[in-house]
Amino acid sequence: MTDATAAENTDNQAMEQSRDLSGARDMIACEGVSKWYGDFQALDGITATIKEQEVVVVLGPSGSGKSTWIRCINRLEVHQEGRIVVDDVELTNDLRNIEQVRSEVGMVFQLFNLFPHLKVIDNVSLAPIWVRKKPRAEAEEQAMALLERVGIPEQAHKYPGQLSGGQQQRVAIARALAMEPRIMLFDEPTSALDPEMIKEVLDVMKVLAQSGMTMMVVTHEMGFAKEVADRIIFMEEGQIVEQGTPQHFFENPTEDRTKLFLSQIL
Amino acid sequence: MSEMSSGLGVPTIPAPPEEPHLPPRQWIRENLFSSLFNTVLTIVSSLVILAIVRGLLAFIFNPQRQWEATATNLRLLMTQAYPEEQYLRVWVCVAVILTLTAMSMAVWRAGSAVPLPGVGRRLLSGGVLLAIMALLAPFGTRSTFIWLVIAIVVAAGGEALRRFADEERSLSTLALLAMALGGLVATLWVVPYGSHTFNLQRTPRVLAEPGTVAMSTKLPWTLMLVVAVAAYFVGTLVRDRLPTNPLRATLLVTWLLMPPILLYLVLRDPSFDMGHVFTTDIPIFAAYAVLGGALLSWLTRPSTGEAGRIVAALVLVAGFAMFVTPMRMIVRLDMLLLAGFALSAPTFSGGPRARRRYTAGWLGVLGMMSWLITAINTPSTVDVPGEFFIGGISLTLMVAIFTIVISFPLGLALALARTSNMPIFRLLATWFIEFVRGVPLITILIFFSIMVPLFLPPGMHLGEVAAVVIGYSLFSSAYLAENVRGGLQSVTRGQHEAAEAVGMTTSQKTVFIVLPQALRVAIPPLVGHCIGVFKETSLLAIIGLFDVLYIARYVMSNQTEFMGSTKENILFVSLIYWIFAYQMSKASQRLEQRTGLGER
Repeated sequence: MTDATAAENTDNQAMEQSRDLSGARDMIACEGVSKWYGDFQALDGITATIKEQEVVVVLGPSGSGKSTWIRCINRLEVHQEGRIVVDDVELTNDLRNIEQVRSEVGMVFQLFNLFPHLKVIDNVSLAPIWVRKKPRAEAEEQAMALLERVGIPEQAHKYPGQLSGGQQQRVAIARALAMEPRIMLFDEPTSALDPEMIKEVLDVMKVLAQSGMTMMVVTHEMGFAKEVADRIIFMEEGQIVEQGTPQHFFENPTEDRTKLFLSQIL
Repeated sequence: MSEMSSGLGVPTIPAPPEEPHLPPRQWIRENLFSSLFNTVLTIVSSLVILAIVRGLLAFIFNPQRQWEATATNLRLLMTQAYPEEQYLRVWVCVAVILTLTAMSMAVWRAGSAVPLPGVGRRLLSGGVLLAIMALLAPFGTRSTFIWLVIAIVVAAGGEALRRFADEERSLSTLALLAMALGGLVATLWVVPYGSHTFNLQRTPRVLAEPGTVAMSTKLPWTLMLVVAVAAYFVGTLVRDRLPTNPLRATLLVTWLLMPPILLYLVLRDPSFDMGHVFTTDIPIFAAYAVLGGALLSWLTRPSTGEAGRIVAALVLVAGFAMFVTPMRMIVRLDMLLLAGFALSAPTFSGGPRARRRYTAGWLGVLGMMSWLITAINTPSTVDVPGEFFIGGISLTLMVAIFTIVISFPLGLALALARTSNMPIFRLLATWFIEFVRGVPLITILIFFSIMVPLFLPPGMHLGEVAAVVIGYSLFSSAYLAENVRGGLQSVTRGQHEAAEAVGMTTSQKTVFIVLPQALRVAIPPLVGHCIGVFKETSLLAIIGLFDVLYIARYVMSNQTEFMGSTKENILFVSLIYWIFAYQMSKASQRLEQRTGLGER
């Protein structure tokens, strides 16, 4: 594909603990993606691919375009230049493509965005019933299994407002998983949580990563990035500044901007 | 964490310390006389309240007041000129509505339990209030004495209950209500209210005989009470034996079906041309039911996909084409209805159960619509002078209920259209709303009562009231749409995004995520609007319909016997309006509490 991915692939092979993903197919491919809000350019020619089963963590200072990029991938934001291809479907204005991509891509938001008028179990089973057209009983069974997987089956019949932040975020993960997505996007999933709750959410995400889910995570949790990521992408002012394995990124970054960022947060 | 999630997952929170119950004297000191300013305020406002109450009592109990005007004209206020020999029909309607109400109360477990000391406390304060009123009112010595004795008895009973009753024992509010109504009905048999009849023939005069209440009044009302109580007990029996959700659904459907059936079958007694019904109306209905049902069953199959949308669009085109072609109205309207159902079919597609439910919904709405069109077009056998076969409260309630029920889906559709991202819909909805809101209601009522019947295609007969209800519904839907739009805007962007991110289509997102939240926020303005619709039905008088306020203000005050009784009549009618409006307001509060479940 591009130089960056080629370099990353050789890097991966050199790394002992990294998985070998060089043969895997592309799940997300972005080519020269740009986006403007009025005169402000939020994304500036982003080119990157994400392989099947790969876990990519996107880092960068606030306002660097991380969230905008991840939101372009399921078309919550519309890019104005370039191509985004998700699982061999190109995102265009065609509604059918968008709906197809969205049902393949799960998304977890910073502020959870659970449906406050529905019980937890209905939050999880609503989309499978109406979008996937599953029989209700089957969908609810699956929802219970997912709630068990994220560790809160006993909260199934409460309303989101009665749950703690960490529990809500885990429900949001279960809700996204209920659509049986092939890709999961996480948009700062722990930024609105206090430290104790961050851990319970990150634990769920780690298990998910180990199960082979393709994941793209925007976060400020360096520990998570080090431990779980296959690759780290560092962004600044709408551009990809540097990318590589966690080892490369944290131990010998090449770009000055990356060094500055790391010196500020570590 | 592990401690919290043990058992049913309900954390055991220690109860907060109970608020100490202050003795009355201390409560008064802390709340009414806590500071100098507060003391002044308390004294001044007490004086104002006393003056108002005294003035009102002086007005009500003034011997010159002609309250017999209302007592005599109750039937006029209730149904206007509905023929007396057909009155059984009215009582049947009242009985049906009471039965449904009582059964619904039982099934939805309305009412709450009040501990007996609480009842006592209320009785005590009621007695004290009564005593104050008795002392304030400009009664003669004897009346004051009687009122005081009653007040003291009530207060003493309350005090006894408060002191000695067991805190554990309680009384249901419904039992209290039934007791109060029972007492009221019992007085009809015991207390010599006198029998008032107003003779309209030739020499109009009041026939007032002291001592008795006419049998035609007290017997039906007693029966109604018995019916209501019996229905409540039947409701509790059914509630405990049948599964809850189907039972509630059945009751709701019955409620929806009741108004047109009572109105067009019981009250209006249409003279159907049965031959015509069997040869034309029923076959048309059957054809739509079978063909439309098959079409919708196919459209809601998930595998139908894109072909279904094309077919639905074709049905819509066919609907519009048929609508401008002269043929039986029922054929045209049913086609438009089918187009609406076809267009929304992909949203509700799913397994066999979902498809069956959707087709059943189609059959229900189709049946209702066909029935209404046929019934409206059939002349009535009830011979009534004037424009319409009922008037008074019945007319007020009928127009209000129909308008609210019809304008609700219309208003929703307008609000959604105005906020949609389809420019044509947005433009049309905005124009409609702005136009309707810029025109006085009276103009719309006059336009619909006089002009619209002229525009109707031949063969279509629309009664004046039906025309007015349509106009009023359009008017009301524009306001309702703006209330709903306020609710729609309160739904955050995050909710839209979350729904989109799990792959919902726009209509699924609207139906399952956005509308439920928007409507919950919009409950207070929506109920305010409903109360407004109910009260503004008094404008019907302008186009010559006899609504309750018109009867009170002009008809009754012009009866020879009751010249100059306007004030009394208007006071009585405003009490009626207040009772209904207050009930709507209470219902809205309960609804807010119930739907507030999800909030922290």
